[in-house]
Amino acid sequence: MNAIIETILSAAFVAAVIRTTTPVLFASLGGLLSDLVGSLNVALEGMMLIGALTSVIVSAYAPWYVGVLAGIAVGGMLGALMALFHLRFKADVILVGFAVNIVAAGGTVTVLNYATGGDKGTSINLPSKAIPALDLSFLNAIPGIGPVLTQMFSGHSYLTWLAAFLVFAIWYFLYRTPEGLRFRAVGEYPAAAEAAGISPNRLRTYGLIASGALAGLGGAQLAMFNFVGFTRDMTAGRGFIALGAVLLGRRHPVGTAIAAVLFGAFEALSIALPGILPQVPGEVIHSIPFVVTVLALMLSSRRRIAA
Amino acid sequence: MTNGKLIFDETRRILFAAAVALLMALVIIFIASKTPFETFNTFIAGPLSSKRTIGNWIDDSAKLALAGLAFSLVFQARQFALGVQGQVYAGGTIAAAIALSPLGMSWVSIPLGALAAMLAGAFLGFIPGYAKAKLNANEIVSSLMLNYIAYDVANLILRLYLASPKSGLTASEGFPRSAVYPAFVQHTRIDLGVILALGSVAIVWFLLYRTAWGLRLRLTGHNARFAAYSGIRSNFIMVSAMTASGAIGGLLGALYVQGQGFGKIVVGFEGGLSFEGILIAIVARNRPLAIPFVALGYGYLRQGAALMGYRTDVPAEVIGIVQGIVILLVASSFTLPGRAFLNRIMGGSAAARAPST
Repeated sequence: MNAIIETILSAAFVAAVIRTTTPVLFASLGGLLSDLVGSLNVALEGMMLIGALTSVIVSAYAPWYVGVLAGIAVGGMLGALMALFHLRFKADVILVGFAVNIVAAGGTVTVLNYATGGDKGTSINLPSKAIPALDLSFLNAIPGIGPVLTQMFSGHSYLTWLAAFLVFAIWYFLYRTPEGLRFRAVGEYPAAAEAAGISPNRLRTYGLIASGALAGLGGAQLAMFNFVGFTRDMTAGRGFIALGAVLLGRRHPVGTAIAAVLFGAFEALSIALPGILPQVPGEVIHSIPFVVTVLALMLSSRRRIAA
Repeated sequence: MTNGKLIFDETRRILFAAAVALLMALVIIFIASKTPFETFNTFIAGPLSSKRTIGNWIDDSAKLALAGLAFSLVFQARQFALGVQGQVYAGGTIAAAIALSPLGMSWVSIPLGALAAMLAGAFLGFIPGYAKAKLNANEIVSSLMLNYIAYDVANLILRLYLASPKSGLTASEGFPRSAVYPAFVQHTRIDLGVILALGSVAIVWFLLYRTAWGLRLRLTGHNARFAAYSGIRSNFIMVSAMTASGAIGGLLGALYVQGQGFGKIVVGFEGGLSFEGILIAIVARNRPLAIPFVALGYGYLRQGAALMGYRTDVPAEVIGIVQGIVILLVASSFTLPGRAFLNRIMGGSAAARAPST
């Protein structure tokens, strides 16, 4: 037990949490934007997966930032596609989302097969690039806590800092700008918003496109930093966990970010645990993030009823 | 709407879905394959190429029908519980444990395995339902999380208790003959599972359309508020629908491990089939009696895709793309260009068809 606590309190663990949180945080911020305007985006998982594969393939032939941008673009296009089918063709948004997930699961394997020349498992023979890490070792100069700060915050992907900034930016957008107010109004009570001359469908389209772009960004971070290269089904439920973070975070950017960090922490724990407690079966450790998500969802939702 | 008209309309819709699926497959094959005609030929004719492949097609269709049935039951109640995959793993693990115990030496292990699997699945289906009714927890996320958890637990039990060292701890020994569903046609996978699937379809149809519970369930699904005003306890309906759906998912697990296809339990035995039940349920519009036909049709495409994956340069996973696009198109309500014109010259009233969800 002491060994676990020691690990959790170490600076290296904080760094690991930041690392595991980043992809989930992007996806959950995306989930938040579409959930706020009233279309729960269950396709985050598939959008992350497609975003990850796209950025890996593009980055094999172009600079890393082009790969990231391609991940964002393909995610945004998937969001637009969902909006088209959900809003224009009146299909249920959850079915549309699941259709995207199913296409993603099969489609990524198919495309990977062709991009790698016959490998259906990994992109190991594609020379894909990584997102560079931001070196903050100048923090060492701070007396006392400098080295600890360096260990925690140096060497993360550029996108990690973008994610942190986006939490603030989305909060500012939602709570300090007129367009953000409209966004929240549509989610709260679409009829009233419509009476005030706001087109709910326009905002829902934006919400879905933004959520797709952010999920694609999360996928890029996953396949170009957390892991370098694409593996079949590499998102492994992160998109669904991100959706849980949106619900757990009470549809607020800061709450969502806190929930994402919570899930990131348990994922980091599940990575660290096999080294500390080799006697615990791997399957149990692997299921920790999912158990935590479902429990957190149940407990937090109950409070909401009581309130 | 009369019954005849209904059947005609639904058949037309299903044929439309099939045509779209074939067209999509054709397009993908022509883009992806170096020898498109041979590949397409494998895809279309492959499932009928031997007794064994026909058997695999029928067996897959029985499994798809059960998965579709499980989804259709919760979809009818307008719940989006997506936990069938986890229920399959739970049910399969319990059934395997019974088949490998001393009970496996007797025919009792077949009904007992199915029953225990259904109980395990029902329990897994009950959790998200209860959590939604009592704790207001979103059933989509909780049921998906349970899928991952059930998969991990199933693998753990397999590795610790059921696996044989010979397999590298990834599979159990083959079950005793008495614990494996008897095959109806020798050397094929057509076994008792087909009867169980068809029986389940009949039972679910009876429950939904001939009992008060079914009427309440369908009313809740159509309009929850109306149902609540008319005194239906919608929470009870919701939880019971999810639980019953879970039992079907669990039964599917028993069908997998005790069927001729495996006759043992293997890591990841479900192979992602459960989620394809969504397509079956949607194309069949959640109507139990349409499900076997849709399952046969889709099972054929699936089998064709699998053979294509073995025999040609196009991977079997393309079926996922076809599947997703069919769901998109069938779930939406848009009119094909020229539909209105066609209706005008045919003088039909089909222009005002209800949106298909």
